[in-house]
Amino acid sequence: MLISPELILAIFGMLVLVVDLIGRARTREWLPWVTVLGFVLAFAATLYIWGSNASIFAGMYSVDMFSLFFKLLATIAGTMIVLVSIDYLRGRTTRQGEFFSIFTFSILAMTMMASSASLLMIYLSIEFLSYTSYLLTGFLREDKKSNEAALKYFLYGAITSAVMLYGLSLLYGVSGSLNLTDIATAFANTVDPSVRTVALVAPALVLAGLGFKISLVPFHQWAPDAYEGAPTPVTAFLSVGPKAVGFAILLRVALTTLPIYQASWIPLLAVISIITMTLGNLVALRQTNIKRLLAYSSIAQAGYMLIGLVGVNLTGNSPFSGLNGVLIYLFAYLFTNLGAFICVIAIENATGAVNIADYAGLVRRAPFVAALFIIFFLSLAGIPPTAGFIGKFFVFGAALREGFLTLAAIGVINSIISVFYYFAVIRAAFFLDAKDPSPIRITPLVTAMLTVTAAMVLLIAVYPQPLFNLAAWSMGMFGVVK
Amino acid sequence: MSLLVFYLFAAIAVLAALGMVVLRNPVHSALSLALVFVSLAAMYVLLSAPFIAVAQVMIYAGAILILFVFVIMLLSPGTDQGVGALKAQRGLAILFGAALLVLLIAVLGGAVLPPTRGTFTPEAIAAEGDTQAVGALLFTNFLLPFEITSILLLVAIVGVIVLAKKRQSISKQ
Amino acid sequence: MIPLQFYLIVAAILFCLGLFGALARRNAVAILMGIELMLNAVNINLVAFWRYVKPAAPTMDLAGQIFALFVVTLAAAEAAIGLALIIAIYRSRDTVNVEDVDLMKW
Repeated sequence: MLISPELILAIFGMLVLVVDLIGRARTREWLPWVTVLGFVLAFAATLYIWGSNASIFAGMYSVDMFSLFFKLLATIAGTMIVLVSIDYLRGRTTRQGEFFSIFTFSILAMTMMASSASLLMIYLSIEFLSYTSYLLTGFLREDKKSNEAALKYFLYGAITSAVMLYGLSLLYGVSGSLNLTDIATAFANTVDPSVRTVALVAPALVLAGLGFKISLVPFHQWAPDAYEGAPTPVTAFLSVGPKAVGFAILLRVALTTLPIYQASWIPLLAVISIITMTLGNLVALRQTNIKRLLAYSSIAQAGYMLIGLVGVNLTGNSPFSGLNGVLIYLFAYLFTNLGAFICVIAIENATGAVNIADYAGLVRRAPFVAALFIIFFLSLAGIPPTAGFIGKFFVFGAALREGFLTLAAIGVINSIISVFYYFAVIRAAFFLDAKDPSPIRITPLVTAMLTVTAAMVLLIAVYPQPLFNLAAWSMGMFGVVK
Repeated sequence: MSLLVFYLFAAIAVLAALGMVVLRNPVHSALSLALVFVSLAAMYVLLSAPFIAVAQVMIYAGAILILFVFVIMLLSPGTDQGVGALKAQRGLAILFGAALLVLLIAVLGGAVLPPTRGTFTPEAIAAEGDTQAVGALLFTNFLLPFEITSILLLVAIVGVIVLAKKRQSISKQ
Repeated sequence: MIPLQFYLIVAAILFCLGLFGALARRNAVAILMGIELMLNAVNINLVAFWRYVKPAAPTMDLAGQIFALFVVTLAAAEAAIGLALIIAIYRSRDTVNVEDVDLMKW
């Protein structure tokens, strides 16, 4: 029962393949809907086991509220991305069955990453998600950019995962166990200075692999190229999926295995956070391709999220525990960034254009999309009344509570910088004249998804209490840190 | 005696790895890599892990490397320029590798890790059989990763076929 | 008895050689070989730690060996995916040199 979401996803992944294999052209039309049904069932199953806190498979797999939060996130993201990719894939590939099957498995990998509580499961599920991501990125094999993006993504990913694996082997070596809790016990009990040195080097190596998934500087170089070259729905997936569950593992490892070394990893993460958001924002200023712009923007967003982990403090009853900030931020970011990418997909479906210059006069050609761009960009920049503001409020608040004034200040300055490039797009859309003023037709499905994401972005801002409760429940299982 | 064997295979492994990195012709690199794989298998035997040693030879040397050689042959052979001409990148790579090596040796060389072992001593392994012991655990405690790996391999097969299957309609430019 | 450190140092040397190869070479196939070397170095670590380090719990008795087995399996899948991507690139532009794969700036 406890792994029913995973079982449902695995079964549907294979079901899609079988339907594709034996079905005729008419039945293939139903493939995306079969996939969506799988996600909805997995979502329902996650709600059904809501509240469980169990460690299964000899402690390797942890089905707790923290993991269920990310499973909800994964299935929501999966549903929305499948729905917007239907129109996108039409005419671009004939192999929709394989696409939706691999995509279902990538959501499966995300749900498994959220629950991994053993070094072996962490490695397996990260690699699983990576392999499916490489395949989806390179899926349009007739498209040279898609090929190239996949190769670069693959080479970066394979090198960083090998480095991470080396770190995992050292963690096994100093503890004699693969389970995160056992490793924590071994760290707490040892007085051996050499074990302590290894315990500092190994997590740094592991951070390479996680930093790659989250796209933290200096492991971010793959992101702009992979984002630009991948099929746009896949880009939307890469910008939210791997990042969210990468954080899931980073948080779990940092808070269950390494709390006694908190004093040594906090400064490291603070420096990485500062570099990540500053570099992401500064390079984003120069971009002319909207997908690359959103790539650098998503790198910067990862930097903001990391502030929450730097400011983590689970003692007391403060509303700014840092951890809840990261979870709230991730939830808000999911809808915001997906929404921004669905806008891009809407325009690309109709015109094929992905350059900011092509957005000139968008307000006349597609007023609905242009208006929603404003909402999503306000949210990405963290300006109220949007979901992004709530997220930033809690991560910056945690940093202030812990006395990281400089870090919070740099975060705020970066948010201001980001306004410039977001509004460069808005300026093109509203104040420049279109070369071709013909209206852009948006398909009903894409319009529906745009409405849903925009509504969520605004709803989180005006009525955030359910999200606060969700975050508070999800972090209940972590012990007191500090 | 076993120390001597260790030195021999360690030396072969390191030299062959060096060869793999610096040899220009990818086929030569691949053959050096085969040598590394085989000498590592010998080390696994020294570590009394015969099952891993056999898996190493069969999967790495037997399957993965053959795949590499096929692909090298399929794609233009002998067009490699060896280590990168980009001076900056090569310098960075040397710096990176050397720094990490110094760090790792400094950390690991000094580590005094407990030499005691659990129930699976080499004697116990020899009595039960390495393969049986690993197999039994794979289907009990490690069932979940085992099943996940089977799905992962399915995904890899499907994906690789999509990517690499010959095009029917579109001709190569 | 061979000290544990000997194995760890051989693994560290191989790992760093593999990393150097992966970072410095231009042929995509050669980069992939460097990555395979890194994974092999990790396997020495895992098996050596299994042999020398006391398991924290009875369930972890053979953990190092089993982890190594999974690494071998995943390395095979990774090599297959990487080589398929390289073949796809080669079909569209007749090169496996990563510097020539530059439609987008690196």
